[in-house]
Amino acid sequence: MTKELDCRGLACPAPVLQTKEALEKEHPKVIKVVVDNEASRQNVSRFMESQNLEVTVLQEGPDFHVTGRIGKNAATEAPVEKKPDTEHKKIMVMVANDCMGHGDDELGEKLMMSFLKTLKEMGEELWRLVFVNNGVKLTIADSNILPVIQELEKEGVHILVCGTCLTHFNLLDKKQVGETTNMLDIVTAMQLADKVINI
Amino acid sequence: MGLDRADDAGVYRVTDDIAIIQTVDFFTPIVDDPYWFGQSAAANAWSDVYAMGGVPKTAMNLVAFPLKDMDISVLRQIIQGGLDKMKEAGVVLVGGHSVEDKELKYGLSVTGFIHPDRILTKKDLKQGDCLILTKPLGTGIINTAIKGGLASTEIIEMVTRLMATLNKDAAEIMENYPVHACTDITGFGLLGHIAEMVIDCPFGIRLSSKSIPIIPGTLDYAGMGLVPAGTYNNREFRECMVEFASSVDRITQDVLFDAQTSGGLLICVDNDRADDLLQELKEKGIKDAAIIGEVLGEPKERIIVE
Repeated sequence: MTKELDCRGLACPAPVLQTKEALEKEHPKVIKVVVDNEASRQNVSRFMESQNLEVTVLQEGPDFHVTGRIGKNAATEAPVEKKPDTEHKKIMVMVANDCMGHGDDELGEKLMMSFLKTLKEMGEELWRLVFVNNGVKLTIADSNILPVIQELEKEGVHILVCGTCLTHFNLLDKKQVGETTNMLDIVTAMQLADKVINI
Repeated sequence: MGLDRADDAGVYRVTDDIAIIQTVDFFTPIVDDPYWFGQSAAANAWSDVYAMGGVPKTAMNLVAFPLKDMDISVLRQIIQGGLDKMKEAGVVLVGGHSVEDKELKYGLSVTGFIHPDRILTKKDLKQGDCLILTKPLGTGIINTAIKGGLASTEIIEMVTRLMATLNKDAAEIMENYPVHACTDITGFGLLGHIAEMVIDCPFGIRLSSKSIPIIPGTLDYAGMGLVPAGTYNNREFRECMVEFASSVDRITQDVLFDAQTSGGLLICVDNDRADDLLQELKEKGIKDAAIIGEVLGEPKERIIVE
């Protein structure tokens, strides 16, 4: 089955869109698209290549005949649309203590400071930072680590602080950063995240 | 300044201390939302003034509007978008002109002030200078994806905001640094504008393609063939001046030629102060800014992309 499209006189991106639609609706084994300008020739060829078709181009006078064939390696299924690369991985970090690890608390506080400072190296994948239990003590005015967390918030990291924990320690009005949250939000975030890291 | 050297805007000296700087730009809608279109058109119009180190002062609206086919409220929203950007930039609207046309167009003519001794051109680069780009590339390709109905809402919002962002902050920050040359990245694409910098100059430029900021999604859309004709034209015109390393794939090459709307500033700054300038830009909210390359003594009039 060969599908033929006459896209002469059309400007970008129309020839690509028509090619895409024909491939998706009719799944032809061969598709031939006639275009009359260089940009459309390149774009239609490129689109066919992105759909794993074998592409040949023939020039006839002012026109280009761009032909795509399903090759040996090409998928026989309908073309799959690529996900744009805005979809970063979502990493959620849950902090349940005011120091890192067990043993020496003074060392633990230093490590926690260093951990949160270094966390921004995760870049845009760092999605949510959640503080529970003793961890909420890092978010109050007396905490040495507070500025580090505020910096992360400024950079766009969503900071969540457990409301039950703040109430338990009587710190509800001392919290200086992030959004007060509940267990339902935390569980939903865990479900949406690609990765949850517990500290 | 004469027309023999390509530059961003026209400059006319009035007294020893004041020159006026004038530029004009208008185009057809790039985003569906009229208010944002107005903002982007305005941000784009005085970008040339910022690139030369000037301060925009007054503006006039240019409007072509299809009265028969479109509700007048659309025009009101466009003008409001333009006005809000004027407020942000401290620019006063002093008039304008409108005609009836089949196709909607909006833009502005802008007049600014500049000190005659402190005009930044594209040409006064020095060997060893670092190049800083203040906005990511890809608006041409993404606008083609938007026209094709293939862009996600997230990307549409991102690119709309980017195009409406003024180069004002970047221009004010660079005033305090030893900046030798500057231009804004628009229709000729990054490589087209760099070509204008090095042509007839005793210098060449090396770019590191991996450090060049690109809007998310751009490479995917370019790979699908959503590249505007203008971008291919830029490539054809300037390809002869560019040497690409084999590691730079064809799609990335096209992004570097992509015709931008309301793109960022390309700042040529003394090597010693480049890191400080970059840090200040980032601290003041210009998060995508990056050092993307350097000025070389040899090969002259060439752009090497690694």
